Amino acid sequence: MTREVQAVILVLVGSAIIRITIDDTYLNYVKEVMQPWLLVTGGALIALGVWAIIDVFRRGDNSEDSDHAHHGPRSAWLLLLPVLAIFLVAPPALGAFAAARDLTNSSPTVAVAPPLPPGDPVEVYVSDYINRAVWDAGLTLDGRTMEVTGFVVPNPDGGWWLTRMSLSCCAADAFAGKIQIVDAPPGWENPPTDTWTVVTGTWVAGGGTNSDTAIPLLSAQEIIEIEQPVNPYD
Amino acid sequence: MTTSDAPSEVKPRRWRIGSLEFLIIGLIALVIGQRWIVPAFDNPALQTASTIFVSIVVQAMPFLVGGVLLSGAVTAFVPASVWQRVLPKNRALAVPVSGCAGMLLPGCECASVPVAGSLVSQGVPSSSALTFLLAAPAINPIVLVSTFVAFPGEPALVLARFVASLATAILVGWIWLRFGQDSWMRMASRLHLVGNTKFETFRRTAAHDFLHAGGFLVLGAAIAAFINVIIPAEWMQSVADNPVLAIGFMALLAIVLSICSEADAFVASSFTQFSLTSKLVFMVVGPMVDIKLVAMQTGIFGKSFAVRFAPLTLLVAVSMSLIVGGVLLT
Repeated sequence: MTREVQAVILVLVGSAIIRITIDDTYLNYVKEVMQPWLLVTGGALIALGVWAIIDVFRRGDNSEDSDHAHHGPRSAWLLLLPVLAIFLVAPPALGAFAAARDLTNSSPTVAVAPPLPPGDPVEVYVSDYINRAVWDAGLTLDGRTMEVTGFVVPNPDGGWWLTRMSLSCCAADAFAGKIQIVDAPPGWENPPTDTWTVVTGTWVAGGGTNSDTAIPLLSAQEIIEIEQPVNPYD
Repeated sequence: MTTSDAPSEVKPRRWRIGSLEFLIIGLIALVIGQRWIVPAFDNPALQTASTIFVSIVVQAMPFLVGGVLLSGAVTAFVPASVWQRVLPKNRALAVPVSGCAGMLLPGCECASVPVAGSLVSQGVPSSSALTFLLAAPAINPIVLVSTFVAFPGEPALVLARFVASLATAILVGWIWLRFGQDSWMRMASRLHLVGNTKFETFRRTAAHDFLHAGGFLVLGAAIAAFINVIIPAEWMQSVADNPVLAIGFMALLAIVLSICSEADAFVASSFTQFSLTSKLVFMVVGPMVDIKLVAMQTGIFGKSFAVRFAPLTLLVAVSMSLIVGGVLLT
């Protein structure tokens, strides 16, 4: 691998990182807090690459110049894989396939949940809904009308789960939160897998409590199909 | 130390199909072929794997780039004599000192491999550099805080992680000092990285380390992504119920998943059905031995180093976790 190619690879990797950061696709892969670090990282790689290219031109393209690292590592070609994946394939946010692989639905939460903020309906995250329903017996959900956003994952035992993935760090460690939708309005009994929806409804008991596999219930009053949110994760 | 990157045999210009032409032709072919390539990825398992692959690479990049910039700066601006002054002359004593120095590098394992590489090339004894390599990603403040956050109500686990990781790093350093041979390390010669100016040396070292470690990071991420999608989720449930199997499984999982040490506590805590000790094994092994890391070590230190160092570290890490876990977590 020549110095030119090494420099081009640095620029390509840097540009790929900048590209996914400015068009918000980075949110399909990592958390929002990474944004400034990704910009700095991409900028540093582009700078290193451009600096190397300038160096190539300044010294002339003389291959007999023996002090340069003419043989870059062959493994560096692999750095083109994520670049190609980003520019050609643009891997989507995790969906129903990843959600179905997660057998647990929540982790024990020790803190007592504070009351929901005011609002009718009030917007609630899937993971928040599950924690309140499963680990706090639904006390803070009872009697409220809520708006929950997620995608459709079919339940093999009937109906479907309103699902949203959460990241601890990046999509490699994502875990799924599922809410069983009951009383779905006509036309919403079996929606297509991975459809993004906003479900407005109320909490009903019966999903089980204090178990990391319990899946709480949400009685739907209205369901609207939406585009995937900019940040697809909880 | 031998040279794997021999300076190119001085041949007259050979412009057959060089790597630059190959790159350009390949990119053009891919852009034209995009319409046939993209539908091939229209498969949920393959899509999930590619998402996980890109996310591991993207998540690790800032830490890797931070690490190579630091390694470039160390090589270019810190005179080698500094290390001789800072580290105790006694090499056995220098090992625990460098282990504790690991607390000062707030990065993950991607950053510590190139930094350790540049320490060795600056004449730091390999036993000290390796102890630093193992300790830094496991016991720095960011990792300990994230562990504390991931396990509310289990502060003993944070202490256990710190103690077991530091003990592993120091023990491996001593074993390496006694039995290890520097000839196992086939580090690429860094002479060609020395430029006319310090900034030139900085640029070359940073780019060199990025290209070496980055390729292997990509390889590790790809393997981890595919295994993530292939292992049936139902297996885990039954494994967790058997204590011995659970520990073996968590160690294996740490190796395979190759998660950044700053994130692994959150992953460990999501395995709710597993014992605390098996989670400790996961968090001690992960930052020291995993697919991506071994691949990066191979890139920086050579294959005959990695095949000895990784099993040794794994053995010590699992033993230390079991001992410390037995004392602190029961």
